Amino acid sequence: MKLGALPGGGPPIVERIREAIAQALPGAEVRVTAGQAGHFSVSVRSGLFQNQSRLACQRLVYKAIGPLMSGDRAPVHAIDQLETISS
Amino acid sequence: MDDATRQKIDQDVKAHPVVLFMKGTPAAPRCGFSATVAGILDELVGEYKTVDVLADSQIRDGIKEYSDWPTIPQLYIKGQFVGGCDLVREMYENGELHEALGVKLDAVEPPLIVVSPAATRALEEALAEATSQEPGGSHHIRVEVGDDFQHALSVSGKKPRDVEVSVGKLTLLLDRASARRAAGLSIDYVEGADGPAFKLENPNEPPRVKSLSVKELRAKMLAESALQLFDVRAQKERDQASIAGSRLLDREAQQHIMTLDKSTPLYFHCHHGQRSQQAAAFFLSHGFSNVYNVTGGIDAWSVEVDPSVPRY
Repeated sequence: MKLGALPGGGPPIVERIREAIAQALPGAEVRVTAGQAGHFSVSVRSGLFQNQSRLACQRLVYKAIGPLMSGDRAPVHAIDQLETISS
Repeated sequence: MDDATRQKIDQDVKAHPVVLFMKGTPAAPRCGFSATVAGILDELVGEYKTVDVLADSQIRDGIKEYSDWPTIPQLYIKGQFVGGCDLVREMYENGELHEALGVKLDAVEPPLIVVSPAATRALEEALAEATSQEPGGSHHIRVEVGDDFQHALSVSGKKPRDVEVSVGKLTLLLDRASARRAAGLSIDYVEGADGPAFKLENPNEPPRVKSLSVKELRAKMLAESALQLFDVRAQKERDQASIAGSRLLDREAQQHIMTLDKSTPLYFHCHHGQRSQQAAAFFLSHGFSNVYNVTGGIDAWSVEVDPSVPRY
């Protein structure tokens, strides 16, 4: 199985993460890379991060991908690294 | 989440100055992220409260809702949510966590950094530009050295706990973690393929296997006559397809490599680049400092460089 691909088909998880973030944070630049199975690293650059604490920035991103991380069979187990850059 | 669960979480968070919601226990963590945060707390504070979310599925789901945070571990200090593993590690490295926990912060010795004249000019230009855009602002050069030894330069104001390094008229700012990784760093500004660029060399960076694309390999083979290119595959794969100038990595070849100077560039390829990565890592661990893995292996070579080499 290709890393990051869903067993049941559909777009790769990397793509689903990217889309979920791009939708929640319009105009954001999003980079997602797959690590071990279910682990991903995410880097987001967005104007919405301006004057926000890192906690608040990470919250915005986690909120966007929350649905992909909840439940026992969630496609996303963990975000190894989450980088939020203000633009 | 039901009221009882919320109350239980609320009580824990308010009753203890430091509370870590984690998978497992500090002595037997059940997840690497939880282990990391517990390890940091072990170092900084003697005692802290932990809640094993794996022991109670109500708490496990409840804490995510309570904190509005989807992952475990979660750290609370004095009733305030601090963050997950990522943030805690970052705060530990830059000293914020010490402050939040009331732990004394040891001073970090400013590292010795060498900036070449060309780099000094380029950095001064960047500062001048920032000043013209925002007159009156405080502008300095920030040097960041990540834990993976990725380097970054930017124009920045001073931040609390920064370590300052004066080089000539320049003041370089480093966060504490970067400062600890920067001793002996040299910053140069050189002409590259895509125009001039900063070039940073860090003696603290452990040698690692470098990646080389098949096109870059091709260029190196044209430029160097006795390139040490080793084929990590089996002989029967070599019989199907091979790169001219490569040598099977058999016992004899291994012995040959061990006689070479440790700075000799070594190149490894296989079918797709996985096995050769391991071989490259092996020689790196034996002290060779210039070890390359050919990304995509002979398959990429067939596609991008030499279609006469059959794919299989």
